[in-house]
Amino acid sequence: MEEKQKKERIGVYICHCGGNISDYVDVSKIKDIVKTEKGVIVSKNVMFACADSNQKEMIRDIQDEKLDGIVVASCSPKLHLHTFRNVAQRAGINQYNYTQVNIREQCSWAHSDTPMEASIKAAGLIRAGINKVVNSEALENIEVSSTRAVVIIGAGISGMRAAIDLAKMGNQVYLIEKKSNLGGHVAKWGELYITQQTGKNIIASLTKEIKKSPNITVFTLANVEKVSGSIGNFIVEVKTGNEILNLKSGAILVTTGFDSYIPKEGEFGYKNYPSVITLPEFRELIENSKETLVYNNHKVNSIAYIYCVGMRQTKGENKYCSRVCCTTAIHNSLLIHEKFKNINTYHLYRDIRTYGKQEILYERSSKNGDIYLKYEEKTPPVVEETNGKLLVKIKDELTKRKDLELETDLVVLVTGMVPRSDSSQISGKLKIPVGNDKFFNEIHPKLRPVETVINGVFIGGSCQGPKNISESVQSSLSAAVKINALTKNPTILLEPIIARINFEACVWCGKCAEVCEYDAIHPLEMRDKVVASVNEAVCKGCGICTPICPIDAIDIAQYSNAEVEGMIDGFMETVVFDNTGGNVSAFETGEGTRMKDMPQIWRRIADSLEIDPKTIPALAKELQLNPELITYHLMTMNKYNIVEADGMDDSDEYYVYKLKNLQHVEN
Amino acid sequence: MSKIDPEFASEIKKYGARDFSACFNCGNCTAVCGLTDKSVNYPRMFLRYGMLGLQEEILQSKEIWLCYSCGECSETCPRQAGPGDYMAALRRYAIASYEPTGLTKLIFKSNPAFILFTIFLSVLLGFFLFTLKPDHEVSRWLFTIIPYAVIHNIGLIIFGVTGISVIWGLLTMFLKLSKDTVKKDKSKSNFWKSLKEVMNELATMKRYKTCDKEEDSYWQSKPAAVQPWFVHWSIMWGFIGLLVATVLDFMVKDPATDIWWPSRILGTIAGLFLIYGTTLAVTYHMTRVTKAYDKTRLADWMFLFFLWIAGITGFWLEISVAFQADYLTNHIIFLIHTIISMELVLLFAFSKFAHAVYRPLALFFYFKYNKDKN
Repeated sequence: MEEKQKKERIGVYICHCGGNISDYVDVSKIKDIVKTEKGVIVSKNVMFACADSNQKEMIRDIQDEKLDGIVVASCSPKLHLHTFRNVAQRAGINQYNYTQVNIREQCSWAHSDTPMEASIKAAGLIRAGINKVVNSEALENIEVSSTRAVVIIGAGISGMRAAIDLAKMGNQVYLIEKKSNLGGHVAKWGELYITQQTGKNIIASLTKEIKKSPNITVFTLANVEKVSGSIGNFIVEVKTGNEILNLKSGAILVTTGFDSYIPKEGEFGYKNYPSVITLPEFRELIENSKETLVYNNHKVNSIAYIYCVGMRQTKGENKYCSRVCCTTAIHNSLLIHEKFKNINTYHLYRDIRTYGKQEILYERSSKNGDIYLKYEEKTPPVVEETNGKLLVKIKDELTKRKDLELETDLVVLVTGMVPRSDSSQISGKLKIPVGNDKFFNEIHPKLRPVETVINGVFIGGSCQGPKNISESVQSSLSAAVKINALTKNPTILLEPIIARINFEACVWCGKCAEVCEYDAIHPLEMRDKVVASVNEAVCKGCGICTPICPIDAIDIAQYSNAEVEGMIDGFMETVVFDNTGGNVSAFETGEGTRMKDMPQIWRRIADSLEIDPKTIPALAKELQLNPELITYHLMTMNKYNIVEADGMDDSDEYYVYKLKNLQHVEN
Repeated sequence: MSKIDPEFASEIKKYGARDFSACFNCGNCTAVCGLTDKSVNYPRMFLRYGMLGLQEEILQSKEIWLCYSCGECSETCPRQAGPGDYMAALRRYAIASYEPTGLTKLIFKSNPAFILFTIFLSVLLGFFLFTLKPDHEVSRWLFTIIPYAVIHNIGLIIFGVTGISVIWGLLTMFLKLSKDTVKKDKSKSNFWKSLKEVMNELATMKRYKTCDKEEDSYWQSKPAAVQPWFVHWSIMWGFIGLLVATVLDFMVKDPATDIWWPSRILGTIAGLFLIYGTTLAVTYHMTRVTKAYDKTRLADWMFLFFLWIAGITGFWLEISVAFQADYLTNHIIFLIHTIISMELVLLFAFSKFAHAVYRPLALFFYFKYNKDKN
């Protein structure tokens, strides 16, 4: 907070975005309004602010006019924040003395039917932006040194595959596995769909590769005890046997996987009847059977699969679909048909979700003559036992909800994926947020799918939610690449938009540390007192500590009181749009977009109403346009005081509209 | 509570619906079918019954008989499960199940058995025919091997069995259909009205016309005279006309005299319709003009072909009688004509022919127990 003086020479660039903005927002008028603001030296309209030529022009302006702050009013900062930060840097001013104002997504696109209001809002936002820049400080990125090592927690297929790639990219990899062997669930599985390789073989070849790699250290029968430090410099305390190791790593990849759902006692007869087994138990049975399928000393001639067991519960705990179970069950049922002859198969499902290529399995299975019966969650099948045979009763949705029963030797409960029972230990130690479904949460499922809100902590595989093997490996490999992008540089640059403590005011009440989700605030002893201190690498700048502080001793960089108050003041100031003179490009006529046609329609409506007042149907007939379109535009014109209603027509059915004020249209 | 029978599907497949297990219950077939309405829901539901092995549901249903096999459903099926062929297979299964002897089951499921049986029956019928002319030298030679009385009695027994089988089949179907839940529907119309509607359908093929109503259907642009409903109409009324003419002829006793007798004129016209219809039908089946004619079973071929031969040979005889051409060829053709016609009659309850009584009965149930049809 060294630099307290306000910025006095500001440049404002208002972008047309090739018409995306200027078709609705009166950019040239706003440019004129902004020019009169205090401190604004340059105010320009540009066709494309992001264009190379304009960037060069901005740099010239900054240097020639000695500007000390920049505002670009264009699109979302998600698109071009860094573009213009770089421009500022290249021109020799601090990149944080630049503010982007979003007048495309927030004004022209959002309010395309009310261009006047869009313009007023844009002007307000730009003023807010100017006030923010006026009060902005020059900031430097936080530099953190980084260790070229990665800890991967969980050596299932996701973790193993990521370990191999991270090692190849030159990272020291510590692969931590709580069990004695590598490979997790996949190591137990037989033939898998599409490649026909067995899970055992895949894991064996991955294990071989890991053993060959000098960069990978594997810890089996190991548990993560404690995690400290932050991005670039984590210290992971691992316990193997009686030994405790402290592993230094730049990033952590969590690939702890899933547990299979275990049905409750009595759920579809589970545990009550020995011939009711779960899908994992069934897969084991297939693996261990040679010539004939024998379970419990009885030859199995018929199998009933009950799907969605423990999943998709509208009232229960697991509301999600487990994605993999339909495919797994159907694939295994096909394997059964191949391996053992003459087995009658019933599939009692709610919906079949063999998405993508897996649909082929479903088709093959039904063509095989497997019987598919659909039940509703409200009326689940009932499993009973009579004379040593299992009897399953079902209300089949596909047969007029008929009550049907079938005899079977084996009932397979098709169970899905649930989070690891001990996953809360890991999420607790790493502070990974957990979703409603208790799986680990990413920052954004689409845009940042493998990063967590904790800098340097990544997730991959099915600890994030149900995934099949390919999806798990895809996610863990994408995390591997993200991690390597971090660790490959000796230093990591972090944005300085974090909480800052005013040490003079702070008296350490501890309230801020209590609310901090990231554990970034700790007490610090100063000469004569204890104050709060922020771990720069951990703080995310979420701002929760700011309003909590009773003496207002915390500020978030870029969002200081002066900046935020300035923005509010700037936005609240009235914008006066006088409609006389100037080029109102918002109502420019032209060809192309639908909205560009609007003023033409207005003009045609106005021309027609100028001759004599008309009803909407009459106007529609005369202009040969859809009455709904006419209604829509008349309402808007009415709002802008261009037309007004002039009583009812003769039939007393429609309003007659007349011209009131031609100014807008004339402009 | 009905029990699922997983073996039943393979049984139905033997009647000629190999692919129906591929059905994934999308219901496109039902949606595209011009004959489904609020109360009759097919073909999808029947594919369901077949897969689950709900035999009673099938045998108690009138729906399978309401289908005219336009093939629109097979055309639309995204899984190529052939719902149209499947419905035809169900009708074969029903014919086989209604009659008491089990003969139909044998010949429908096994083509060699079907062919052997037909040939055996032809020979037997040939024997019977000689009993009509006991003085013929072949007859006399024959009777030295098998006495006249034996052949005569066997003939009586066979005709008896045939007759009983038809009545048995109809009765079985009537009882099964009466069990159908629709029976409990309070909105039934009266007997005579329903009968009138059945007659109306037989006379006009109104429901058959609603098949192929799809705009893009093959028949839509074709003249009515070649459309399947008219072909069916021609065959059906051609046959009935011939039957009536034959009965009338026998009542006037001397059939071979004057072609200007009203009964003779009726026979001629009916015969022409029969030949026209069967010729077109045979052509359609041979050229597989639409998907409906894609898979023709032996049972269908046999029935159609016999009708065609009966028609052609009958006409030949008509002409030779008119010109009094008493050649050996004509005698042989007379023999063929009679044997084929007799086979048709004798196999009535055991062949595709049975639909001639089962469909009207099903239609009667349909009209009687569904007030708000269509």
